[in-house]
Amino acid sequence: MKSRKVIIGALLVGAFFVSACGSSGSGGSGSGESSGGRSGTDEGIKDGGTLFILDHSTGATNLDPQRIYTGADLGFLGSTITRTLTSYTPVAGKAGTQLLADLATDTGTPSEDVKTWSFTLRDGVTFEDGAAIVCADIRYGVSRTFASEMTGDEGPLYATTMLAVEGEYPGPYTATADQQAAYEKAVECSEDGKTITFHLKNPVADFNYTVALLAFAPVPKASDTADKYTLKPVSSGPFMIKSYEEGKELIMVRNPNWSADSDPVRKPHVDEIHWQFGLDESVIDERMIADAGDDQATIVYGGLQPENLQTVFDDAKFADRRTDGFDGFVSYTMINIKKVPCLEVRQAFWLALDREALRTAGGGPFTGEFADSFINPLLATDYTPGTVTEGVNADGTPNVEAAQAKMDAAKEACPEVHKHATEEGLRFDHGQSELWAKLISIWIDSLGAVGIKIIDNAIEPSKYYATINKDPGDLMRAGWAADWNNASTVVPELFTKEGGFNYSQNWEDPAYPAFSDKVNLAKAEVDRSKQATLWQELNQYVLDQAWAVPGSFTKAQNLVGSRVRNAYPWLPFGWYNVGAIGLAE
Amino acid sequence: MLIFIARRLLFALALLFAVSAFTYVIFAALPSDPAALTCGKNCRPEVIATNRVRLGYDKPIVVQYGQFLNGIFKGRSYGVSEGVHCPAPSLGYSFRKHQCVTDLITRSLPVTASVALGAFVLWMLIGVGLGTMAALKRGRWPDRLATGFSVVGISLPTFFVGLLAIMVFVIWTGLLPFPRYEGITSNPAKWFMSLILPWFTLAIVSASSYVRLTRNGILEVMNEEFVRLGLAKGLRRRTLIIKYVMRAALLPIVTIAGLDFAALLGGAVITESVFNLPGMGKLSIMAVNDSDLPILVATTLVAAVFIVIANAFVDILYGFLDPRVRLN
Repeated sequence: MKSRKVIIGALLVGAFFVSACGSSGSGGSGSGESSGGRSGTDEGIKDGGTLFILDHSTGATNLDPQRIYTGADLGFLGSTITRTLTSYTPVAGKAGTQLLADLATDTGTPSEDVKTWSFTLRDGVTFEDGAAIVCADIRYGVSRTFASEMTGDEGPLYATTMLAVEGEYPGPYTATADQQAAYEKAVECSEDGKTITFHLKNPVADFNYTVALLAFAPVPKASDTADKYTLKPVSSGPFMIKSYEEGKELIMVRNPNWSADSDPVRKPHVDEIHWQFGLDESVIDERMIADAGDDQATIVYGGLQPENLQTVFDDAKFADRRTDGFDGFVSYTMINIKKVPCLEVRQAFWLALDREALRTAGGGPFTGEFADSFINPLLATDYTPGTVTEGVNADGTPNVEAAQAKMDAAKEACPEVHKHATEEGLRFDHGQSELWAKLISIWIDSLGAVGIKIIDNAIEPSKYYATINKDPGDLMRAGWAADWNNASTVVPELFTKEGGFNYSQNWEDPAYPAFSDKVNLAKAEVDRSKQATLWQELNQYVLDQAWAVPGSFTKAQNLVGSRVRNAYPWLPFGWYNVGAIGLAE
Repeated sequence: MLIFIARRLLFALALLFAVSAFTYVIFAALPSDPAALTCGKNCRPEVIATNRVRLGYDKPIVVQYGQFLNGIFKGRSYGVSEGVHCPAPSLGYSFRKHQCVTDLITRSLPVTASVALGAFVLWMLIGVGLGTMAALKRGRWPDRLATGFSVVGISLPTFFVGLLAIMVFVIWTGLLPFPRYEGITSNPAKWFMSLILPWFTLAIVSASSYVRLTRNGILEVMNEEFVRLGLAKGLRRRTLIIKYVMRAALLPIVTIAGLDFAALLGGAVITESVFNLPGMGKLSIMAVNDSDLPILVATTLVAAVFIVIANAFVDILYGFLDPRVRLN
């Protein structure tokens, strides 16, 4: 999943807030987690009222289900206006990652080879206009993912990579009759319109998690306004959009045609949700700290500002309103194997980098913990502490001596790469921001200590991916969180040629074919514990090859109004289960 | 006089055409690729290429400008099958906001006009009032007070005054609700409440320079011979000041105020941002942040239109007030 908080310009974001993870080990404020105290419970909830959401952004990133890919948006819109075949259990903690049937009657029926998955729709599920949701609506919704020129490939592309559509399929807007028929062969609807069957190219053991993404949500063809659909999507959930004005406000009201009987996931309490945009971040913090009037019924889209963290976390009066925890992300630096085909240089890079100085400059322990894996510990089944390059200091400080030894070895083993790194310099792509203006000097200094020259390439955040897709640098900064509770959405996505976010070009490495074969094995493995072992081994393989360098398991801090209840961190999405939030009197 | 007005209007039209061409070319010549901005993180070159064609950015810049002008008069469609159409007057389509730019402008302009109008009235009252008082009480405490206000007002940045106002009146004392703009037609009371702080913020900052202008203008006129003559002939001081001094002193101020007001209609960028008012300034800032070229071109053009119109209006007004201008 990708992030809306584009602090490094390019964060792919997502999920898994926290509460289960340990402390940062640094002591003091920000070292532990806080799950929100009373605000995370349903104590004193009275149905009704208006929930306010304050947001610095000028508008929703997207409301079109096929274009949504930020963790918070997936959870927010999934809990309010957009239903999917499956969803997640609406509770705090790890139980929240448990898959639940939503529009479907169960969590799906796979074929023996897990290349075909069927889902049967519940009775009584409707859109906001009262029209029944049928298989064709889901099939049409999924088909929109293929219309790249319309969606800009903003949403997850699992449909385009997994579905066994013969030939090219350009999406429903421009497809020929034959192309549309080929698509409808891959996504079949039963005659009664109640059962949808997905035929996949390859075995996918956890495809029922894939369909929990909003990209697999229903869209009524008659209401599709293509590019403009994102302004007023048709609701299938307990709320619907009453009005939306970019830069000002989005108002959701209750959907009169939603039935609680047909929805085991959503239990709404408030009557309206007012999402207010474009507010100054410092003003938002001041208002939340003051907690007056409507702000008592308010949550914030985005975290607390670093300068207010001590105020909030050093004062016990905020204990019932604050949350502090891991957001499910791993920040990392991709190394372009095509340009740096030398293991010693890549390992030297890792050894020399002053991660502690970077964390301090970024805000200290509140920002996160040093990562030893690309798989977040919140993916408990798949995570195991990785063994990093020998000599990498656990406290994040650089090991210049070991790094220099690697560079000396590189001079012998791969002189051309050594020359490239020390004389021409390595181009480091990252998102342009005030923070990065500070961080880059730490990169230059710490790597310069072993002779590695860094060429700063700050890219405007909105153009980051387009730029590195077209012209990847030697090093590229990014971040990632799992799309669901399985490292199948981490390792293949980041490190296989077919993955959506592999910028390392590691397929140029002789070590790649063995890795790729093993990934295919893992993807098809139906025994979850065996699959987890394979992901752990593959993660270690990446660490050994230093195709990328993990940065940190990142954290986020939030403050809610004093009347807010049920604002628990919903692990699969990294934010609150907004649709379930209620207000105390 | 009619020839003079016609000449001025024709000149304004030519100027508008030149400004539109210049603005379009400037933004089109920027190194950023508008087509790339329509793509998400997975953006593939072929998607960018498709969208470049869809947006018309694959054509020579002269053709693009021609299409842009054509859209203003006839409307414009983007793409083939998806049917995105912006009716005339079309200023483009924002693939970032998924809306016709004209719709965005139409929605933002009343907000900015509300801010500008109220603030303008306030700052003229405060600025001219204090300036007049300072001039008439020259060297005494009212003069020092007004001049001090002017110095402080000029020194304080708008965002500081705005944030301070929010802190004091909204957060600390709770005297006012946090400004949330409502249209005047949908809820006049909320409209008024949402604009009190922005009006005063803008007025305080802008009035400061008008205090100085008014004070200096009045003092200058009061030194004119016709004023001394009037006094010598026994005209009442009050009559002399109101009928003769103020009239002469305020003429250049009215001219400057007209242009300031027109500039404000292009967007009170900082005030709108601080108070979260979805006006032209906020729209421009969003467009800059998103590198949304169609919106940037349109907001720049609209701002230029107001300036050109105000200029033409002032020219014509001067023609009425001072016949020598007409002859020139």
